[in-house]
Amino acid sequence: MTRGPSDSGPQGAAALRGSMDATTAPHRIPPQMPQYGEANHIFELMQNMLEQLLIHQPKDPIPFMIDHLQRDNDYVPKIVILGPPASGKTTIAMWLAKHLSTNLLSVESLIAKEYSPLAADARMHYQKFKMVPDMLLIRLMQERLKEEDCVRRTLFSYGLSQSTEQSSLCDTGWILDGIPETREQALTIQTLGISPRHVIVLSAPDTILIERNLGKRIDPQTGEIYHTTFDWPPESEIQNRLMVPAGIFEGETARKLLEYHRNIVRILPSYPKILKVISADQPCVDVFYQALTYVQTSHRSNAPFTPRVLLCGPVGSGKSLQAALLAQKYGLINVCCGQLLKEAVADKSKYSDLIQPFFEKEIAVPDNIIMKVLKQRLDQQDCVERGWVLHGFPRDLDQAHLMDNLGYKPNRVFFLNVPFDSVIERLSLRRTDPITGERYHLMYKPPPTIEVQTRLLQNPKDSEEQIKLKMDLFYRNSAELEQFYGDAITLNGDQDPYTVFEYIESGIINRLPKKVP
Amino acid sequence: MEARSSRELQARNYLEKHRIMDLLTYLTSALLFFRPERPREYLISILERLRIARLSGVALPFFMDNSNIASMFEMLDSSNKGSISFVQYKEALKTLGLCTAEEVLKDDGHGVTFEKFRNEVNKRTQEIWSAF
Repeated sequence: MTRGPSDSGPQGAAALRGSMDATTAPHRIPPQMPQYGEANHIFELMQNMLEQLLIHQPKDPIPFMIDHLQRDNDYVPKIVILGPPASGKTTIAMWLAKHLSTNLLSVESLIAKEYSPLAADARMHYQKFKMVPDMLLIRLMQERLKEEDCVRRTLFSYGLSQSTEQSSLCDTGWILDGIPETREQALTIQTLGISPRHVIVLSAPDTILIERNLGKRIDPQTGEIYHTTFDWPPESEIQNRLMVPAGIFEGETARKLLEYHRNIVRILPSYPKILKVISADQPCVDVFYQALTYVQTSHRSNAPFTPRVLLCGPVGSGKSLQAALLAQKYGLINVCCGQLLKEAVADKSKYSDLIQPFFEKEIAVPDNIIMKVLKQRLDQQDCVERGWVLHGFPRDLDQAHLMDNLGYKPNRVFFLNVPFDSVIERLSLRRTDPITGERYHLMYKPPPTIEVQTRLLQNPKDSEEQIKLKMDLFYRNSAELEQFYGDAITLNGDQDPYTVFEYIESGIINRLPKKVP
Repeated sequence: MEARSSRELQARNYLEKHRIMDLLTYLTSALLFFRPERPREYLISILERLRIARLSGVALPFFMDNSNIASMFEMLDSSNKGSISFVQYKEALKTLGLCTAEEVLKDDGHGVTFEKFRNEVNKRTQEIWSAF
């Protein structure tokens, strides 16, 4: 399989990444730089521009880049929907096009165009041979993608809109329904630089499709497809208009299915990372929602990313354990607030005199002192370079604001939810062996011998009343914290630690999900 | 497979000829340093200035001006001898992205004075910019 020029994009992107990677430079880079880079998706911006440059290779790169930046179409929908006949492709494609306000291109719509000699040619061919030759189809597509949106233009000419911009289809995005039909078409499209960002393939068993096709009906006015059993229009006037389309009987459908299977196997390898197969053997609405969610997620990018993770949850939710696992696997620095304060006192640092009295009286240490100790830790080189996992702070909105104002913004926040009974179970059965210092849990990690068991002691802080108090305190503040960290991910902490760890991992590695309005 | 390698070669040649990677590095550094509110508009303005500068021969917007070069030299020359060692000079050029690791520079035995440092930096920057 030959690769198109768009494949040299990733190598250029790797070189770009090298120039942006903060960890290769020994000197300190202020944290605002990578934060700005992440917030504005600078890496993806540059990567897209580089890809476009490599695909088109203009003689004069600077005007081309200016043009590309002004168009600002990095995130418009570019979708391809493939599937066997009767899978509901056209219906899904139409619904997606309406929902995302983008343009739909299919073989029928391309050849039905007026005012185009190419389209007239294609129509003649279709009537004779029941198919359109590849090159003609591709040229029709190119023509359609370049042309400007006629509807907008007429609105402008009637003075109904203030703007003088004219957008081409490239600016509003496109959805291809059933194109490419063959591998040759797929390759040609790729070499022209038309590459989709999401490819959806509908699949269902053949017998279901053959049966379904028998019930297909078309509304001649709107072109929408209905079904006698699954998707019957409510209005009686549409019902009366419906026509039976040609070629829906079993023999015809079986033949088309054979051809489809032959072709699809060779098209799929062209889109390795952006493909998603959705089962068409479910209600239309379900297929639509799956397709919509997929299309609205962005793929994992290669941008340099230093994780700054915040774990929030009531006492006993497993924050320390998860932080330790993360630190071990990804080399992040585990910053536990309570631990930090205790270390500050033990090391007899300049803060120990400030903190000691609070420890003795068992009152909570005031926010600004905690912040100073934390600041000192987070500013150290290893935290800046490798990223950090913070837990135990902030516990309420004021602390969160304080941290935010000083510039320590986490880029992933996780809330671990654990019901009260599980917390009690986890904490009240904790025991420590005073001689070896080993920590045991009567249920999850029982002591090995009876001798050890008899001498085990329980930490007074692990009593039920204490736990209850701490949990109440947490839940009073958690609603505000969740609102403050709008992008936070909530997880069920009531599972075994490795399952929770996997959820946290996927939350860090994948892009933050865009909230659907 | 022939088609693939020739396409890749073609793409690489294109990148080298127009020094795209240097341009993109400069744009990214400018964005991260100045952190404008609207990155696209800012990039467009830089590119417009470049385009005009090339057409009219006006001085190109350098990223590092004379005062920056002077302060960099001072940082390297911590004992104020007036010259820096050859190794330091090469490292400095590498950090600025003005020479590659494999390039062999002449070592004339004496240290590198400020004048020589500045002229070399300016000369190389000019070389890069003239290709845009």
